[in-house]
Amino acid sequence: MSGSMTSAPDRRPWTGALLLAALLALAGCGAKEVVVQGQFPQPLMSKLPLTLGVWYEPAFREHEFFDEAKGRAESDWLVRTGEAQVELWDTLLNGMFERVVPMDARPAPEQMNPAVDAVLIPRVDELQYAIPAQTNIKVYEIWMRYAFELVTTQGETIADWTMTAYGKTPTAFLQSDEAAVNLAAVVALRDAGAHFATSFTRVPEVAAWMESLEAPAAVAAAPEEGQEEGP
Amino acid sequence: MKRRTLVSRLARLAPALAAALVTGGCVTATVDEMVFNEPAEGVGDASVVILGRRHASDYETEPDFIQCVGKHIQRGDPSINVIGELEFLNSLYPWFEPRTAPLRPADLDRLIAQPPVAQKLASLQTEYLIWVDGSTVQTNSAGSMTCGVGPGGAGCFGFGTWGNDSTYEATIWDFTDRAEVGRVNTSASGQSYMPAVIVPIPIIAPVQGTACDGLGDQLLKFLSSEL
Repeated sequence: MSGSMTSAPDRRPWTGALLLAALLALAGCGAKEVVVQGQFPQPLMSKLPLTLGVWYEPAFREHEFFDEAKGRAESDWLVRTGEAQVELWDTLLNGMFERVVPMDARPAPEQMNPAVDAVLIPRVDELQYAIPAQTNIKVYEIWMRYAFELVTTQGETIADWTMTAYGKTPTAFLQSDEAAVNLAAVVALRDAGAHFATSFTRVPEVAAWMESLEAPAAVAAAPEEGQEEGP
Repeated sequence: MKRRTLVSRLARLAPALAAALVTGGCVTATVDEMVFNEPAEGVGDASVVILGRRHASDYETEPDFIQCVGKHIQRGDPSINVIGELEFLNSLYPWFEPRTAPLRPADLDRLIAQPPVAQKLASLQTEYLIWVDGSTVQTNSAGSMTCGVGPGGAGCFGFGTWGNDSTYEATIWDFTDRAEVGRVNTSASGQSYMPAVIVPIPIIAPVQGTACDGLGDQLLKFLSSEL
């Protein structure tokens, strides 16, 4: 320790500057990593009278997107959305359905899982991003394509459909690329939630399945009403 | 030799520097107002919400501009309750997101038909919804600047200039009547300069700030009973 202290004055004055310049130069070559973080509000809507199971595949829970730099001027990009995805979908589904139950495993005939009306399995099929350095538009963009499966507890498909989500944020003074990509991802996740919340009951297979759930309930309720009217 | 080059460069830049200092940071702004149904006694106890339109693919109405207009209104008349944009968007998620936001006042009927949305709007006492659409863009840039780090220190030399244009339109919706009651346009443009002799000296034209003040003043006139 003392040796290093006594040897310090012997260094040439420009060594520090060179080191700093080298570090600055190298900083441009490193990978840029974004762990998406954001807060997501509960949807303001009447809850659907369903008990929904939800199963997040490990690939979804740990979803990340890696883009290798195409030239020296560009950086590698790693965008981790998994944690934020789970946070968004947990919050959203709890606000949309009467009860939401996390599944122990992917529904299958021999798989023991809690009793629910159906199980939703979301998946991120594709993620694309754009930053102003790549386009002429001064906005940061994130685009995602989701695939959803709604299955029975036995794993039989009720419905499967895809949905896109998009988020962008303008360039801002003193905002780093990472902060802007994070913000664009949060906007895209909010958009995904909004899209899902407003379109879930309009997916034809889902609408038909919900009608089939309501029909036996209506039939069961009808005789009771008749009995009350009788003598 | 080096000193001569520096002096000759400074001499060449002198007229531009002088021009920058004389005209630097100047902004010109115009505001157009079209009001159909102004409230006679201001908004009273009711609240106002200002939201940015974010439908266009090539620009975004900046959240900080919306915040600036809201603060301008509240500074002008502290009795007006302006609900924060993010607070309102979160409270009414997912009904005012870019994908789902109502595009016409008549679309509010569809939202209010949902009991939780109607209850929330009633609890917020929202009387007016102001949509702001527009952005600030850089129009031109010229000049060059060189910066360097050496054993003796660091410094920059050069001159840069750029222009900014702001164009915003505010559309006022009345929640009670579900109708558009006013429209305000503002546009501002200005030229910024950055001379640098060792230390860069930015002379920034407050283009967006001027647009914010222009729009804020007109909205204040509309909403306040005191003006």
